[in-house]
Parts: sequence; C-alpha cells; structure tokens
Amino acid sequence: MPRFFVHGLVCCAALLTGVAPYAAGASAAGEGEQHELPNFITLLGQLLAGTSAGEFLHRWENVIFSLLVAGFIILVVRLASRNPQLQPGKLQNFIELIIEELEKFIVGILGPRGRKYVPFLGTLFLYILCMNYFGLIPLMKAPTANINQTLALSLCVFIYVQYAGLRENGVLGYVDHLMGQPRTAMQWALVWLMVPIHIIGELAKPVSLACRLFGNITGEDILIFIFVGLGVAITSFTHVPVGVPLQVPFYFLALLTGFIQALVFMLLSTIYFAMMLPHEDEGHH
Amino acid sequence: MDYQAMLGLTLPLGLGIAAIGSGLGLGRAVGSAMEAIGRQPEASGKIQVAMIIGAALIEALTIYALVTVFLLQGKIGGQ
Repeated sequence: MPRFFVHGLVCCAALLTGVAPYAAGASAAGEGEQHELPNFITLLGQLLAGTSAGEFLHRWENVIFSLLVAGFIILVVRLASRNPQLQPGKLQNFIELIIEELEKFIVGILGPRGRKYVPFLGTLFLYILCMNYFGLIPLMKAPTANINQTLALSLCVFIYVQYAGLRENGVLGYVDHLMGQPRTAMQWALVWLMVPIHIIGELAKPVSLACRLFGNITGEDILIFIFVGLGVAITSFTHVPVGVPLQVPFYFLALLTGFIQALVFMLLSTIYFAMMLPHEDEGHH
Repeated sequence: MDYQAMLGLTLPLGLGIAAIGSGLGLGRAVGSAMEAIGRQPEASGKIQVAMIIGAALIEALTIYALVTVFLLQGKIGGQ
C-alpha cells in the first residue's frame, strides 16, 4: 500500500512539473504557433534566444529527441544483452520476452521466410513506441509529432519493401507484381490499367503511414496541451504557476493510442512485406 | 465572406463529416468483429489483428481530414 502511495506522489510531482514550464513558456512564447507543451529544448532555446546555439536547438529539436530515444533504446538493450546469462535476470528476461513476442507475431503473418525481416520491423515498433511515449514524460517531446520524422520512417519501410520485392521476386517478378500478375487474356488486356494503379498504390502507402502516425500523435499532443492550458487558466487568478492537472485522463488515452499506433505502423509494414513477397501458399492468410 | 471565414467555417465541418463516416465504418467493423469473437472465441487473436488493421485503415481517413485541418489552420487568424 505505501508503495502505491509513493508512486502516486511521484506521478503527481511529475505532472505538476509538466504544468509549471507551460506557465513559464506561455508568456515567453509569443512568436509563431505553439500547440505543444514546451520541452527542455525549447526552454533552453528561449534562454539562448538570439544566439546561434538557440537557433540550432530550435531547428534540430526533433532530431535531438529522436537521437535521445535511439540512445535510450541502445542503452537498455545493451545493458540487457551485455552479459547474457543462461538463467536470465529481470532486464534480460523482459527484453527477451518482448523480442520473442514480436518475432512470433511477425512470423505468424509473414511465415517462416519472414524471419529475416523481424529485426527491422521489431526495431520499428520499439522505436516508434518509445518515441510516442517520450512525449508523455514531462519536459520531453514526441518526435513522431512531426511529419518529417514519420515520413522518414515510412520512406525507410517503402525503400526496404521495394528492395525486398526486387530481391525475392527478381526484376521480372517485380514487374509481374506491378502488372497485377496477369495470367488470362482478359487480365493481359487490362495491364495498361493495372500498372498505374499499382504504382500509385505503392506510392500512397508511405504517405498514408506517415500521415496516420503524425496525425494521431499530434492530435493527442494538442489535446493534452489544450487541457493543460485549461487547467492553468482555471487557477490563473492566484498568479501561481501551477494548475489543476486536467490533462491526466488524456495521458491514459495517449498511452493507449501511442501503443496502438506503433503496433499499426509495424503491422501495416508487415502486411506490405507480405503483399510484396512471393506468396506460394495462396489463400492461407 | 473572405477565405479566412470560409476556412473557419468549413474546416471543423469537414472534420466532423469525416468523423461521421469513419464512425459508421468503425461501428460496423468492430461490431462484426465482436460478433465473430462471440461466435468463435478461440479465433479471437486472429480476428483482433484483422480488426485492428481494418480499424487503422478506416481511421486513417479521418486522420487525413485532421492533417488537412493542421495544414490549413495556420491560415486562419493571421493578422
């Protein structure tokens, strides 16, 4: 029981520290449009406003956060796998559990020949999940709330899917796939229609992946921002830079959407691989 | 009516219409999935994965409307 109480206290303190910089940042922001809670990069940038360092921080904000997330993942996995035991410790057990579940999930869709895509797709899931959840830590920001980040991720998927298609099907098989695998005379007659449709379909996939992730995470960030603003506005008559944590219920919603969007990104990438790779077991999906 | 007033009027309306459409679609998809799980609880894992894919594809349409709103809302209220 007391342990639970301490957790609650820590959470409350974390939420309040999330509110305070808003009150500090809202007065100083002014320039440009702001629809996210200030993070430590923007605060540092405001401290160094006008100098080249401030400009640098402002411009490279998302890159810094995505590198932070990547460093975090590398650190945790390194700690878990540095000294592997036959009888795993807590951290090693946890990481092994995640990786085994991911592998089972992806192999369940792609079949055993999809095992070599597990590292890429699993990393994609873990990276996006950590980036989504990073936005919920006070003074941090979700890099996925920026379209450049999500577009970069989906372009990686696009290029890898095309590469895998070319490699596994061969050039002829790839062109055959783009023509919709014509076998009968009727299908051959419609090739001129199928090729543009397939090309547009391939090009639309990364755009839709990027827009989905970006829209969801940005929408959730704006929702939290608006409710923090509301909570601060309620107590504005006291002139104290703390507010009512009205955003708390939306943190749970954000936990849910962050996980589902990471899962959907990985799942759709897996489906794109499954559609591109040669299917010898037609009809077993 | 200048274009800013038009945007202010139509952006929320368009988002609402998109939300109605995807709400109807999601209702059908999730309802059918629940029915299928009720009929065959042992297949719930596969049905859920298929349902999540479908729900993501349906929901993406509303998200496109939301992205359009994000892109265009900067044009409202400039000076």
